[in-house]
Amino acid sequence: MFLRLLFESFRRQKRRKSVALLAIALGMSIATAMIAVGNDIGDKINQELRSLGANLVVTPIEDTLDVNIGGVNLKPASEGAFINEQDLIKIKGIFWGHNIKGYAPFLNAPQKIQTRNGEVNAELIGTYFAQPLRYGKEEFTTGVRTVNPWWKVEGSWPQDYGDSPEQLPPDVLAGNKLARQAGLAIGDQIEVGGRKLRISGILNSGGDEDQAIVAPLHIAQIILHQPNAVRRVTVSALTKPEDAFARKDPDKMSPAVRDRWYCSPYANSIAYQLREVLPNARVEQIRPVEQNQGKVLSHVTGLMLMLTLAALLAAALAVSAAMAATILERRQEVGLMKSLGAGNTAVASLFLTEAAFLALAGGIIGFIAGAILAHRIGQSIFGSAIVVHPVVLAVVLFAAVLVTFVGSAGAVRKAMQFDPAVVLRGDA
Amino acid sequence: MTRTQLLLRLLLKAAWVRKDRALTALVSVAVVATIATAALTIYSDLESKLSREFRGFGANVIVTKTSGALTPSELAGISKTLGHAGDIVPVAYAIATEATSKSRIVVGGADIDKLRHLNSSWSFSNTGQGSALVGARVDETITHGGDLKLSFGNTSAVIKPAGFFHSGSDDDSRVYIPLDDFVRLTGIQPATALVHVEGRPQEVRNAISRLSSALPNAEVKPVRQVTQAQTAVVGKTRSVVLASSAVVVILIMLCMVATFTGSVLERRKDFAVMKALGASNQTVNFLFASESALLALTGSIAGYILGCAIAFWIGKANFDAAILPQPLLLVPVLLGSVVLALIASTAPLRLLQQIQPAGILRGE
Repeated sequence: MFLRLLFESFRRQKRRKSVALLAIALGMSIATAMIAVGNDIGDKINQELRSLGANLVVTPIEDTLDVNIGGVNLKPASEGAFINEQDLIKIKGIFWGHNIKGYAPFLNAPQKIQTRNGEVNAELIGTYFAQPLRYGKEEFTTGVRTVNPWWKVEGSWPQDYGDSPEQLPPDVLAGNKLARQAGLAIGDQIEVGGRKLRISGILNSGGDEDQAIVAPLHIAQIILHQPNAVRRVTVSALTKPEDAFARKDPDKMSPAVRDRWYCSPYANSIAYQLREVLPNARVEQIRPVEQNQGKVLSHVTGLMLMLTLAALLAAALAVSAAMAATILERRQEVGLMKSLGAGNTAVASLFLTEAAFLALAGGIIGFIAGAILAHRIGQSIFGSAIVVHPVVLAVVLFAAVLVTFVGSAGAVRKAMQFDPAVVLRGDA
Repeated sequence: MTRTQLLLRLLLKAAWVRKDRALTALVSVAVVATIATAALTIYSDLESKLSREFRGFGANVIVTKTSGALTPSELAGISKTLGHAGDIVPVAYAIATEATSKSRIVVGGADIDKLRHLNSSWSFSNTGQGSALVGARVDETITHGGDLKLSFGNTSAVIKPAGFFHSGSDDDSRVYIPLDDFVRLTGIQPATALVHVEGRPQEVRNAISRLSSALPNAEVKPVRQVTQAQTAVVGKTRSVVLASSAVVVILIMLCMVATFTGSVLERRKDFAVMKALGASNQTVNFLFASESALLALTGSIAGYILGCAIAFWIGKANFDAAILPQPLLLVPVLLGSVVLALIASTAPLRLLQQIQPAGILRGE
């Protein structure tokens, strides 16, 4: 009997039910889309903040001071200390290795550059462009193309180990300011330290590299007679914004607290882990980047969180209002049922079961629509999909049932308060 | 009773007798108006609020004189171009030799307070009574907290540190002393100015092009990684807020239209009774429309106020700066709500008009 009432109610009141279903589905697609976007915005903006470049810098502890004014390096190539290039792969092996998005080693020294127009003095910088590396079973590519995404190259990027035909000179980049001053163009040959190099591209970095020749690291090591040597490494790591706990000294912590500190991806703990694998290195935060990106990130995610909450609240209210509106109009039905002898419990359970069915159906439709919307937002703004976690479905269905119940319960109670006779006469 | 009085009475009674019905309609309009107001208010202020977050990155433009020093008139030109929106720190550099270790150190001369203000992300530790800022690596390799004996060619001086800083850049190998002392010791005037242009990405770009044309003898270089990140983050965040607000507002509007349409359809009996008593289609339409318009107006005014309050609070809580109400939004929000409510309530009437009132009253 109950099932038949339920079934007939859906069959005969298609219009009324579809209005309620539409409202629930709309509300729940808002919820799904906002939860998905709000949940993913942190990762997406963090990716955008990668364009600030590295947030950690590794230098040898024994190194002498840098003597660098306006992009002109006055420190001789032989002076100071170096990091062993072979050790760098260990960077990937630290506890937070997965958070290391890339690193770029640098070796630089002033050199005399022979061009077809004569000789100029300029800095020779050796680095990885997009060096394929292997750590254990993991293969990854790292270098300035990932770590310094603001570097723009006109022409083509050099190969890191592109010296396959021996007779061809290796490719390098010329900084745009140097190229202008010395009259260098793409395809030109230059000679540095007795080695012939070919310019494959003109670099525009907006920094000191604009006045330099940028070569693959191993070429620079050969020219500078510093095999395996690296002067400086910049590391781009995904970190958690620094708080008071992050600034504490790990050596003064109790073992349990220290473990918690060690296992949080703070810039300080990643720096600490880098020092463990590179014992002679000094690891420093690149403070403008590290200190601010967390702040920007937390404000963007905070904003989205609040917007999501506001939207969820609005959706809940809208769905409740819609449910209440449909049930309020069914007063006469309640009156009729009660006059035929139905108890309050029977009436309430019929209405709430109806509401639950509507909520589940609307929740599923809304989830699908919301997931599609979130996906579209991700694709069009960030060029990468926003994936909706399956857990969101459970949350949305639960929320849908809860909200429709809250919306219906008040209205059902109101409808039951009236005397059936009065309602049926149409006086209420 | 005149027609107007009758109309008013009908409107009042319709709202008063079925308070719950009026209330649900009111809530659904108010929700739409609230969320639309809040989202649009936040969106309109988002660019400048987020751009302020990039202040901590320090200088975003570096002006370098190609030869000679920056003249006072050029510096005045820079500050005139920037107006109030930015900081300028002129810096001069020279290489000094430290007396005991004989190592070479880059020494910068600048207004120390301004320099600290500009580079607020550096970590400073205050130790001494002196006036110089000493880079962390200088302190580690040479001074170890003590004074610094520097010689610049013929002149030499003892530099007392006011504090040490970590920056993570080349600056860690440098020492900064007050510009007056620097000029007295070296005779070199600043040729570089570190500039922070405050404002939205577009304003920063405009300021850079104005600076370039105002200073033909200097190189004006944006710190690309900062300006680029600012453009990317501000732009993307704005787009996300816009897209998600649009989704929310449109869907919730549809939800409201569904509620309105549904409740008008439920009132087919009212409609039939009016028609049976001799009301014309026009009168009935007018009655239903004015009822909805009144509800929508009330609901949207409440929604506008609530929406402004939400935006204000989000600004306070998230950006530490209130997002102020936009009076310009009031008219579109009110008008939009009323128009939507009118469409939602009169469209179903057209359906009902096709049915004979007698049929509805008989329950067909």
